Amino acid sequence: MKRLQRNPDIVWRVEKRRQQAVLDRLEAGEETEDEGTVILLISGMMHQLNLLGGMIWNLCDGHRTLEHIVTELLQEFDVERDLLQTDIQTFIDDLIERGWLSYDQSTD
Amino acid sequence: MTNPLTEQFSAPLTFNWSLSYRCNFTCSHCYSREEECDELSTPQLKQIVDVLVKHQIPFINFGGGEPLLRPDLYELTTYAREQGLNISMNSNGWLLDAAAAEKISTAGFRSVGISIDSADADLHDDFRIRPGSFDKAVNALDVLADAGVRTTMSSVISRINYRQFHDLLDLARKYRVPQVYLHNFKCSGRGFKNRQELDLNPQEWKEFYVEALKVKEETKDLLISFDDPVIASLPGYADNSLVKGSSCGKLSLNLRPNGDITPCGFIPLVVGNILRDDFEEIWYNSPILNKMRNKEAKGKCQGCGAYEDCLGGCTARAFATTGDLSEPDPHCWK
Ligand code: SF4
Repeated sequence: MKRLQRNPDIVWRVEKRRQQAVLDRLEAGEETEDEGTVILLISGMMHQLNLLGGMIWNLCDGHRTLEHIVTELLQEFDVERDLLQTDIQTFIDDLIERGWLSYDQSTD
Repeated sequence: MTNPLTEQFSAPLTFNWSLSYRCNFTCSHCYSREEECDELSTPQLKQIVDVLVKHQIPFINFGGGEPLLRPDLYELTTYAREQGLNISMNSNGWLLDAAAAEKISTAGFRSVGISIDSADADLHDDFRIRPGSFDKAVNALDVLADAGVRTTMSSVISRINYRQFHDLLDLARKYRVPQVYLHNFKCSGRGFKNRQELDLNPQEWKEFYVEALKVKEETKDLLISFDDPVIASLPGYADNSLVKGSSCGKLSLNLRPNGDITPCGFIPLVVGNILRDDFEEIWYNSPILNKMRNKEAKGKCQGCGAYEDCLGGCTARAFATTGDLSEPDPHCWK
C-alpha cells in the first residue's frame, strides 16, 4: 500500500478562523482558490495551502492512500471522481517533488 | 501558491517563555535582572503546555532568567515534545556540561542558543561580570554539538561588539554553530539603564546593518539572522519575514514566570494570564495587542516611504523611550 505521509520536519497548522471564512465564502459561491487555510513553516519560511490543498494535507497522515483521500474528499466536493482524482494527484506530485510529502512504501 | 495571509493568525506561532527570572549572571544589557516574579509549580507549567497545544501554538522558546536553573525543565520539555510542540531555549551556557547536553538531547530540544557577546574571551567575561563565562559558553556549544543538538549563537549587538561582528561569525564556525542571531539592542531593564554606554547612535546602527546585511548576503556557510524591523528601509533587506514591523503580538507572545502574558519580553504591559484568562479573548481582543498590530505613523514616520514595511521599527524600543507604542523607533536614522 502506498500511504501518503507528511514530512515530519514541517511544522503546520490549520488556520481555523480563516478556514471557516473560506468555507462561508465558498458557500456563497465566491472564488476561494487563492486563499490559504493551512500554513506550513519550512526553514523559516511560511507557505500556505488553499482549502482543497489543506484538506489533502490534513489527510496525508501516513494511514491513507491516494484512493482513500479521493474517496473522502468526494463527500465534500460535488465533482466527478476522475476530475478530483486528477487534481489531487497533481497536488500530491508537486508536494512530493518539493519533499513535503512522501509515500510510505511499507506493505501490509 | 496563494495570496499572502494578511489577516491575523489564529494564534501566535511562538511563545517566548521565562520559567524563572533567576539567573546565575548579572549581564550589563539584561532586560530581566530587575524583574521579580512568582514561579509556577510543575503541574501548572504542564497546564500551560496544554493550553498551547489546544491553541496549536507550535513553538516554545525558553528564555530567562536562566532556564537550566529550573530542575523540571527536562520533564516539562519531554511533556511538551510528546504533544508535538517544538522546543528551543536560550542559555548562558554556564551550567551546560556534557551531562546536561545529553539530557537536552534526550528531552528532544529542537535547538539551543548560547549567548556570546564577544569573540574576545575577556571582553565577554567582563560584560557578563563573570570570569570564565566565555570558556563555559563555548564549551556548551561543543558538548551540544557532540550530543547532536542543533546550536545557535545569540549576540546582542552593542558598542562592545558591533565593529567586530565578523569575529563572532568566525567563532560560530569554529564551534560548529549553523546559525547566528545578531539581536537588536532593546533598551529595557539593565539595557535601558546602561544604554548611554552600550547603545549605538542611529547613524552607527545604519552603518552596522548595511555592512551586516551585505555579509549575510555573501555568507553561504552560516545563517545570519536579525530581529530588527527598522532594517526594512535598507538596501539588501530581503523581505522574507512573515509579518511587517515588530513580530510581537502578531507571531509571538511572551510568558512571564507567573503565567502573565506580555506582547514581548521587552514590553512590560500585561495583557492577561494564560492560566486564568481565556486565551482567544486575549489574542483577538486585547486593546494593547490590537494597538500594536494597527500602529499609526507618528512623528517622522508620517510620510516616510519605508513605513509600509518598517511600521515604525521596534515597538518595544519606542515604548521604552517614549511611553508610546506608535512613536518612531529611537534607532531610526531617517
Ligand atoms: S521614519 Fe519610521 S517608518 Fe521610516 S524608517 Fe524610521 S522608524 Fe521606519
